[in-house]
Amino acid sequence: MKRHSYRDTPEDEVIQAAKNADHAAFTELVRRYEETVYRFSYKICRDKTRAEETLQDTFISVFRKLRSFDGKSKFSTWLYTIVTNNCLMKLRRRKMADLEDSLEEYDHPPAGNGGKTGNLMARWEETPADIVIAGELKELLERAITSLAEDYRVVFVMRDIEGRSTEETASILGLSIEATKSRLRRARAFLREQLHPHMSAHIEGLP
Amino acid sequence: MKCDRAYIHICDNLDENLNSPRCREIKAHLRECPDCQAYLDSLKKTIALYRAMPEPSVPSRVHRELFKTLTTLGGRTDRKTRHAGRKT
Repeated sequence: MKRHSYRDTPEDEVIQAAKNADHAAFTELVRRYEETVYRFSYKICRDKTRAEETLQDTFISVFRKLRSFDGKSKFSTWLYTIVTNNCLMKLRRRKMADLEDSLEEYDHPPAGNGGKTGNLMARWEETPADIVIAGELKELLERAITSLAEDYRVVFVMRDIEGRSTEETASILGLSIEATKSRLRRARAFLREQLHPHMSAHIEGLP
Repeated sequence: MKCDRAYIHICDNLDENLNSPRCREIKAHLRECPDCQAYLDSLKKTIALYRAMPEPSVPSRVHRELFKTLTTLGGRTDRKTRHAGRKT
């Protein structure tokens, strides 16, 4: 007997069939989301092996928990919650209090923000839209984001790289809107500060 | 508006349409304060750089392993379902 194909089936129907233990429907869900899950995991873990483990763990969790998905949120929001939990569970070691302390200084403008315009402007010249991130610049960006605490990194990735809203990010992470905004503010400022001393050389050297 | 307040609001409203009264206040501050404008530009460029970073794809080995694992899980569920069906 020929197996039913869900390739062109709307997502809600695929989910319903997968909830009713239709394995072909479940496989289709995995096919649609495996790249998204893997890339998102990598952006948080910054490590291919951990991203691979997270990919496996996430879809095993989805397989086990799919029946509890009630459709009140978007499927992708529900999925991101599982991915985030899997990622952060692996990474989380320090207490939140330590993390809050570690980035508090980024709640204020950088020292010397006033009166240093020329310097800032020179360092952050116009970045070409079609910039290719490779070599030393890639290493620099990688080093900066790896040194950002994971609980902040995940907010930065969701809001600024994946383009998710503050509300969705807050819901996925179980944070208040204010806490989400505060973490994003600190994460952006932290990364900018990490890159700042190196920017003139890289930006000026670009075509 | 002082730089301190602008700093917080610049970050919170980086990607939003600057039309609310508070945002208009920030806009006015940015026009008068080249430092804050430069800071805003540098934040935007930080984000642009991270958005431009290359993203990896699922390696085919990992894809195969994932589907193998899920097929095994699916098979177990099918057997359980069939077993339950025979019992009733």
